[in-house]
Amino acid sequence: MSDAPEEQSLDFSTVIASTVHDMKNSLGLLMQSYGQLVERLPANEHDSTERGVIEYEFLRLNGMLVQMLGLYKLGVNQLPLRPSYLELEEFLEDQLARHHDILRSRHIEGTYEVDEFGLMGFFDAELVGSVVGNVINNAIRYTRSAIHLRAAMDGDQLVITISDDGSGYPPAMLENQSDYILGINMSTGSTGLGLYFGQRIAELHQRNGNSGHIALSNGGALGGGEFRIWLP
Amino acid sequence: MIVYSNKRFLVVDDFSDFRSSVKAMLTQMGAQHIDVAASGAEAIALCGKTRYDIILHDYNLGDGKNGQQVLEELHQRKLIGPHCIFVMVTAESSQAMVMAALEYEPDAYLTKPFNRASLQQRLDRLVERKQVLAPILDALAAGNQAGVLAACDTLLANQPRLAPLCQRYRANALAALGRDAELQTLLQAIIDERPLPWALVMLAGHLLERGHLDRAEALYEQGISQFPMLPTLYDGLARAKQVRGEQLKAQVFLEQAVKISPNNPQRQAELGRLARANQDPDRAVRAFRQAVNLGRHSAFRDPEHHLSLADSLCAQAGDSAPGPKVLLEIRQTMDDLNSSWRDNDALAARGELLQATALQRAGKTADAAQMAKNAAERLANMEDFFAADTALQVAAQLRALGQEAQADQVLSSCAEIYGDDPKVMAGIAEQTSDPDILRGGDQAMELNRQGMQLYQGKQFPQALEAFRNALALQPRNISYALNTAQSLLRLLLSAPDPALREECLDCLQRVRNMPPGDPRFERYNKLREKAESL
Repeated sequence: MSDAPEEQSLDFSTVIASTVHDMKNSLGLLMQSYGQLVERLPANEHDSTERGVIEYEFLRLNGMLVQMLGLYKLGVNQLPLRPSYLELEEFLEDQLARHHDILRSRHIEGTYEVDEFGLMGFFDAELVGSVVGNVINNAIRYTRSAIHLRAAMDGDQLVITISDDGSGYPPAMLENQSDYILGINMSTGSTGLGLYFGQRIAELHQRNGNSGHIALSNGGALGGGEFRIWLP
Repeated sequence: MIVYSNKRFLVVDDFSDFRSSVKAMLTQMGAQHIDVAASGAEAIALCGKTRYDIILHDYNLGDGKNGQQVLEELHQRKLIGPHCIFVMVTAESSQAMVMAALEYEPDAYLTKPFNRASLQQRLDRLVERKQVLAPILDALAAGNQAGVLAACDTLLANQPRLAPLCQRYRANALAALGRDAELQTLLQAIIDERPLPWALVMLAGHLLERGHLDRAEALYEQGISQFPMLPTLYDGLARAKQVRGEQLKAQVFLEQAVKISPNNPQRQAELGRLARANQDPDRAVRAFRQAVNLGRHSAFRDPEHHLSLADSLCAQAGDSAPGPKVLLEIRQTMDDLNSSWRDNDALAARGELLQATALQRAGKTADAAQMAKNAAERLANMEDFFAADTALQVAAQLRALGQEAQADQVLSSCAEIYGDDPKVMAGIAEQTSDPDILRGGDQAMELNRQGMQLYQGKQFPQALEAFRNALALQPRNISYALNTAQSLLRLLLSAPDPALREECLDCLQRVRNMPPGDPRFERYNKLREKAESL
């Protein structure tokens, strides 16, 4: 008594998306087995350089796959927004915790601050989390010693800032950031795609006719690159 | 610093590697009591034995129940309380589970893969939150809704920033207490501030139930423009259209909901019913098939889905004879029904009648006759009875299959049990002109009418006499039994009398098997509780 699934037109992007989905699951299993293998290593082997590379690239791959799935769902208008009230302290702490191992092994100091005690936001933690996660990932690659997250109110919009103390975004990228953000220029691959994704996620968040957006700059709290996302 | 050594954990995942990896993380956090399960069924069984503090449950467990179904069943069977932390572990923030049910949401979603730091950070926060909310959760666990409201007030007076966490508890308590005006004000204020999906759905549903169709529809539409992937909103619009009598539009909206979230058996069945009523048997068959398949592991498993599938399959054949494939599927569906709900004569008889009808239309007259005879024999020996509309359907089927005597018997029982309802009597009159059936209950009905008048005039002993006489004429009538019981109770409250109490309990005993879903069941329960407490 099995029933064929609802008829759906099978197009190329659907095939890709379902493959990406499998890839993501496969990567997840790989990471898990790797984690268990590492647990069995003697303690002095725990902080090896290779381990840092492997874990970083795992996270990067995972982030890219999540992004691809997200873009596909945006394309077919299937990306559900599931906003809820969140404590920003909790949210930022969670973002750093996801990168805890890799930050430690690369001797990068991850810190966060929330402007006012008990600051609450209203957004989709999963989606905004994937944007922030990708930015942190990128920052890990380019920073020297520190990454700093900050949440504050800008008028009646919440703004989350990710700063590092690296050499900052290339000038060309800053100048043409609107091209990346609007998806006009994606030639730099994952970074460009990441910005486009970030902007789309930000835009999904709307209130009283305002929608969210993102921006890049240099300088900032730690003197390096700085990514900001505004959420109304 | 949260202490995990005294917390009881349950980790549910079908991959043993994942279970042991999570177990290792929890052990590192200091946990000492960690149980693991590989399937939803195992998880539910374990929850029946142990009250877990924290459950980490994978959403997608391969075959069998998924995480959402397990969560629903745990709630329905009250195997977890409000203090329990349920974390749904997912491979991605996936589409299929898009809020399968807004009613039973997990406390958090955790996306694989995660490391120990993430897990600990998340659990720390959840434990802290439940600790802060403890006074509310305590009241909730005790079923004390007024206590929930009081706890919310106290908490908010001290820590106003907790408002977003308390609102939902407050709204649910107001709803349970029937404080409609306050509930509406609260929900409207929440929505004006932020369009929280649960608040939108709750307010719209509340308005819909009270007949404010325009306002409810406007809210659902507003919700859909903001959350186009929230199936509950389409469900709501479909209900509103149904109330307006626009069945075709209702079906369109329900189809949208099913497209977004195809895994809910109740929603599929609802679509099936609408499609069947809209003369769309193809759609009905597909929907009921899904309802049957999805229901297999669900707390919302319902035999009506099987019966409706068989009925729709028969209707799908239209005027032509059902082919062997259709007959086979009907038979398999009914076999599945019988093995899933064993020793249930009412269901088995209805299944046999459906099969007999299909066989007859396929020209297999002898098989059909045998099947109909089986059903008739089963019905003759059955103790409990159908709901009125089911009884009418069964009688019509029996008559069409040549079982005239048993058809009349069913109608006559139906008249006795539900005869005080003019709508049921009209339905019976469509099938028979037998005066014994149609007029047989008149005298009892008149007595019952007198009884109600006397009761309203507070002449309780006289009312009791009238109801007793009505019941004596029609001993299986549900209303007469309840009315007699209520009059007895009334007298018992002023003067205890063991004999009257016995009689009252006996009246209630007679109707204890009323069909599930009968609107009088609530009244029966209240009367029984009162009588037993005397």
